[in-house]
Parts: sequence; C-alpha cells; structure tokens
Amino acid sequence: MKNPLTFHKTVLSNGLTVIGEHNPLAQSFAAGYFANTGSRDEQPEVAGVSHFLEHMMFKGTSRRTAEDVNLEFDALGANYNAYTNDERTVYYGAVLAERSAKLLDLLSDMMRPALRQDDFDSEKNVILEEIAMYEDRPQFKVFELATERYFNGHPLGNSVLGTTDSIKALTREQMLAYFNARYAPNNLLLAVAGNYDWDAVITQVEDLTASWQQAKTTRVYPQVCAKEGDESLQDTKVKRAHVAVFAPGVSAQDPLRYAASILANVIGDSSGSRLYWALVDKGLVDSAGLSHSSNDGAGSFTGYVSSGPQDIKKVLGIYHQVLQDVQTNGVTQEEWQRAQRKLATSLTLRGETPFGRLMSFGTSYLYTHTYQSVADVVNAVFNSSVEDALVLLQRKPFSKAYSFTLSSESV
Amino acid sequence: MVSDSTSDIKVHTLANGMTLVFEAMPWLPSVSFTFLLPVGASTDPSGQEGSASVLNDWMYRGAGKLTSQALSDTLDGLGVRRGGGAGKETMSFSASLLSEALPETLNLYADILLRPHLNDEEFSNAKKLAQQELESLADSPTQQLFIKLASQYFASPHGLSGLGSEESLAALTPALLRAQFAERVAPAGAVLSVAGGVSWEALVSQVEALFADWSGTGVPLPGVVLREAHQDHITEETSQVQIGVAFPGVAPGDDAYYTHALALQVLSGGMASRLFTEVREKRNLVYSVAAVARTIRGHGYTLGYAGTTPERAQETMDVLLHELRNIRNGVTAEELERARTGMLSQLVMQGESTGARASALAQDTFLLGKPRTVAWIKEQILSVSLDALNAYLSASAEPDFTILTLGPKPLAEVTSA
Repeated sequence: MKNPLTFHKTVLSNGLTVIGEHNPLAQSFAAGYFANTGSRDEQPEVAGVSHFLEHMMFKGTSRRTAEDVNLEFDALGANYNAYTNDERTVYYGAVLAERSAKLLDLLSDMMRPALRQDDFDSEKNVILEEIAMYEDRPQFKVFELATERYFNGHPLGNSVLGTTDSIKALTREQMLAYFNARYAPNNLLLAVAGNYDWDAVITQVEDLTASWQQAKTTRVYPQVCAKEGDESLQDTKVKRAHVAVFAPGVSAQDPLRYAASILANVIGDSSGSRLYWALVDKGLVDSAGLSHSSNDGAGSFTGYVSSGPQDIKKVLGIYHQVLQDVQTNGVTQEEWQRAQRKLATSLTLRGETPFGRLMSFGTSYLYTHTYQSVADVVNAVFNSSVEDALVLLQRKPFSKAYSFTLSSESV
Repeated sequence: MVSDSTSDIKVHTLANGMTLVFEAMPWLPSVSFTFLLPVGASTDPSGQEGSASVLNDWMYRGAGKLTSQALSDTLDGLGVRRGGGAGKETMSFSASLLSEALPETLNLYADILLRPHLNDEEFSNAKKLAQQELESLADSPTQQLFIKLASQYFASPHGLSGLGSEESLAALTPALLRAQFAERVAPAGAVLSVAGGVSWEALVSQVEALFADWSGTGVPLPGVVLREAHQDHITEETSQVQIGVAFPGVAPGDDAYYTHALALQVLSGGMASRLFTEVREKRNLVYSVAAVARTIRGHGYTLGYAGTTPERAQETMDVLLHELRNIRNGVTAEELERARTGMLSQLVMQGESTGARASALAQDTFLLGKPRTVAWIKEQILSVSLDALNAYLSASAEPDFTILTLGPKPLAEVTSA
C-alpha cells in the first residue's frame, strides 16, 4: 500500500505562496511559516534581531495576548516551536487533523505580532539567558566563533544569537523596522502537510492574511572570500579541545548539492565513514564528523572534532589527512553506494510523519521553488554518481579548508 | 484501519524467555526494531562500572563472519540507521530501515547478540572511546549535573553512571568483559520489538530460527533504594547555574500512573504549563525550565531542571520548588483539559513513527511485562476526572527534594515549606 500523495500550490493575491503535500492516510496535520530571513539579513547594529524577533512572535497580536498564544497552542495539543538560522526563520506546529483550521488561525495571526514594549523588555532577559547557556557549551561556541572568522566579512558569518551587547542595545523600533522589511507576504512561504482540505485551507488563509502588505525585500549575495588555514583560541573555561572545520561547498540551488551531501557522508557520517574509522573507532576522539550545508547562493562542508587538549594537534593532522586523501584519490564505488543508501533511508524515515515532511519539502521549496516528494529526493540521491563527486573534488575544496580550535591549552 | 492500527499488537514468547513484540504499520515502507536486554549500569559489577556501555560498543565491533568494518559496511549497505547504548537497567540495539532489508538485518543482529567476536584489539578501541566520552562530560555541565544528581538520589546501583569512572574504566580487561558477556547477555527478559511495514508470520519464524537456541538466565536487577533527600553543590566557573531536583513519582504500572502523568503535564507539558509560565514567561528568569518523569522497573521519579545566570539563581530555584510543591493544592478544569489534549495528541502523533512505536513497545514490555496499545493508554488518560486528580494531589505527600546545583556559588539551603 503506497501513499497517494498530492502536491498543492496557490499564490495568493497578496503575494503569499501556500504549498501543501496532502496525505489522506495521515492522522495529523502540520503547518509552518517559512520566513526568508535570518542573521545574514541583519546590519551589524541589530545583530541577533532575527532570533529575538522569533521569540517576540509568540508574544501576542492585536487579538491575542502572549498568554493566549501559549494557552491556545497547548489547548490544541500541538507539537510546536520555531527556529532561526543564518537565512530562515521557521514557525511550525503539528496537530491532529481535525484541529487544522485552529492551528492555521493561530500561526497566521502570530505572523502579525503586536511587539509590545513591555514584552520586548522582559523577553530580552530570556535572550540573554540563552546566550549565557551557549557560553557554557563549547561544542556550540566554537561554531559561533569559527563561522564569523571563516566567512570573513560575508553576512553568512553573522551570529544568530547576537552578543550580550548587541541585544542589550537593541530597541523595539529597530525590531519593528526589521519586521516590516522582512515579513512581507512575498518573503514568506506557508507550507502544510498531512490530512487537509486544500480549498478550505486556501479560503481560510486568504481571509486571515488579506490585510498583509507586500514590500520590496532584498538579500545581498556578495562573493564569499573565505578564510583558509588553521587558527586557534585559548579559553581557560573550556576543558577539552573543540575544532570547527570549514571548506567551500555548493549552494542549495546547485544540482551538485546531492553529490556534496553523499560525499560528506562518505567522509564524515557518524558511523562507517572515513573519519569514523580514522578517529572515532580508535577512541582518539569523542566525536568527529563532516556534513555539507547548502545555503542560499553559497555552501560549505562543515566539520567538528573534539578530543583532549593534549592530543588535538595530532587529531587535527589526521582529520586533514582524511580530507586530503579523498581529494587526491577520490572515493570507491562501494563507499558511494553505502552513503547513498544511508541518506535514502534517512529521507524515507523522516517522511513517515507529516511533521517530518513539512520540514523537508518546505525548506527545499524555499530555495528551489519546486516541489520534491520523498521519491524525488531519493531518486536525486541515487542518480548522483561518483563522477559528480570528482567534479566537486577537482575544485580542491579541502586545500582551502579552514579550522578553528577552541581549547583549554594554547595550540 | 489506520486510526485504530495500534490495537493490532502481537506478542510471541520464545521458550528461552525472549519476547517478540510486533505492531503492524502496513502503510509504511519502513520498519524499526529495538533489542532491549536487561544489562545496564545498575548490574555492572562493583569496580567495573561502565562495563555495559563498553560491552555494547564491543559487540558491534565484529560478529559472525564479519570483521568490525565489514559488519558496519554491510549494515550501511542495507541502509540501516543504528542507535542504542547502555542505560541504567538495559542495553539496547535499535535500527530503522526499509522494510525489504529486515530479514538480512535481523540475521546480522543475531550475530551481534549471539556471536560477537570480542577480540582484544577492538576491546582496546572500545575502551578508549568510552574514556573519551567520559572526559567529554567536562564540557557538558547539564549532562554532568544529571549524572551526579542520580548518584545523590539513589542509594542502590541505579545511581551509578553508565559511563563509569576513570578508575573503573581503567580496571576493565577483555577477560573480565568476556566473562560478563557470558553471564549477563542472555535471552531471559530480553525483548525484541518491531514496528512497521512487515508481516508477522515471516517475522516469527525468522526470530524462532535465529534465537531459539540462545540460552542463559542473565543477572537479576537490583531493587531500588533511595538516599535521604538532601542538597549539594558542585563549584564550577560556568556562566549559568545548573539547578537539578529529583524526587519520587509513580512507578510504571501503578494505578495512579496516568493521574500522576496528567499532573506533571500541567506542571511542564507546554508553553502554557505552570513552570514555563511562572519561571520563564512571568519572571524571565531562564531560557530552559522543565520537569520530566523518569521510570525504571518498580520506581518512578521526577527530575526538575532550570539553568540561569548566578544573580537570578536563588529566585529561580525558589520559584521552581514552589511550583513543584504547589501542584498539590490542585489544578483547574482548564488545566486538566489542556494536559489531556496534549497527551492524547502526542500519543497519536508518535504512533505515526516506526522508531517511536518500536521503542515504546520495548520499554513497555521491559517495565510492565506487556505492551500497551495506544487505544488502552487513551482510555486511561480519558478516565481521569478532575475530582480524582485533585483528590490524588491533595492526598500526596509533600515532595522530598534532592537538590544539586552546579555553578560558581552554592545556593541557600532549602527548608521544607
């Protein structure tokens, strides 16, 4: 018995794109607003505003208080949250199918927040606590520090959280200006998945968003002039050594993005990869990996390795050697097929639930403006060949690798 | 059919004591399974803490006809996504995969459980990796807090860390662990749960063929003994103070289990829950605050958590403890309704995932002796009335908190309210 899935798409007169993947067998319904905005779209004086705004979107609207928002989500029995990264901010919920209309009402209303001054002032404390929490997590902190250095002035290096200083200095007016510029309907995508009635969804959303005004939104795409080589920082609060590794990859629009993901899986998946056998299997490190992140118009291979501070030089040497070996000698057909199979299985498993589907096809639509079913993505993975990997490797990405070590000892 | 799929759970017990539990999800092209063995940190021999965890890793490092790398490559080639590890009472080997690969994958897992190579070189690698994991705790203050809180709460071996200690890991040798494998890894009390798009008949006959000859009784689990409630502090120069609280809850299988679960949902079930509202929304003291239920065989307990900067730590702890105590004064009809809706909704949504179902079936069978259907759980949640819940809460004893904080300075000693 196969899922008879149907794709739906309507662009409303206000410019909002609504897409859906209908699954008549699903018991649940998931919906998400994907805002095409994140830390890369921030000016330095408002560093962290995208993420802070994400918190404020839960603080009520002209028809709901902050408490109402929380109460309603819970009364719906929803699985809900939001996240912000360098280039998108996503608000999502999943409920039983019969509550779909209520979820859409709540999420859509939230997209026009009240941004009250007193809520803004008090939520600032929560953001500062979140920054303090990550201060104690060097596994996270090393990426904050390394991303900024690697991207070397490119907006993809902007911090998602911002700093204690930038958050303290931020005003409600600055946030409102950012909101007006970035949350216009033509810069948002609404995606739904699971069991729903498309005509009812469209009629309801049209009504809910009728007053939303379009705006001219832009994003800059400067050339990435990434940093290369090895750098480090001594931090006596850290007990171990944590390394973030970057190398140039391909964008979320590039047809080679599947090959890049498979290649990263061969090199750095959490089990059975080159880095696993060279470092984790032997117990030289507690963790070592590499993945590929495709961004809007740019991309990078991103890696992490961590060991005791005394061993990190040797460990990083082995890490680089693994990358160089793949760049020089390529990968075997067998390795490639194993990685394809692993990725295809993960994609299928994530597709089991409407919520898993929402995140996958919503995100890919945001970048490519095309719908991809699980089968489409699985086919794209199986159609990527070792020759595609050679095209990537001929660009010698790992000769341009950058590493940043955060360690208790000087390296 | 889909809406009532979970009433179709099948159980088969092998003569050697191993239990096979199955839930059909025929609309899915995927399947998940979990092997759960009653081998965990609480049965690690004294002085050899961390054994179950190292053994679990070592068993994956070559089995049957395949070396460590060949086994890993074969599983990867089949697209098997693996999980597992050792906990307080059990070690697990779990996998998610496409349905057609299940027979071949089960053959390999029979090798891992029954015929692991357990060779010296792989032992040395597994031990070094365990030492790395133990050392990495130093940079994970929250994880560190909860490991130490368990040792403050339990007097029985349930308080031992599955990761072991520097000394106990150093003491492990291949010979000691091989002896442990022979004694502890056994079919008695072992559970294999399977959920997904595969057929029951083929599964039963394969499992019989693979595991019928497996024998052994294993090592019994110890009884739960608690320490007297107390407060302690670990001094670390962290940016946030980590606050952890442990206190007794309700054991799995207890008549009050769902009544208690609903009360905990009121406390910490969503963004409108009491803890989130009082600690984060009204007072903006934290980013994270929560209370969660933990169950082991014959015992249930609650863990409370908040992380905050030092100047707000005392107020945060005071509000957290106040809310944990105050729930005994009762909940409103609206709170119960939200809690009920939340639990029922999660139940159905988790029922859509093979991994979540396989894991729940295995846990139930281990803790309760039999799986619970989604329909049965639903009925239990629906049957708790407001009066019954409030009567249960007012009759419950004032919680005895074991408190552990980690941060630059200790907080004031808590006195009972």
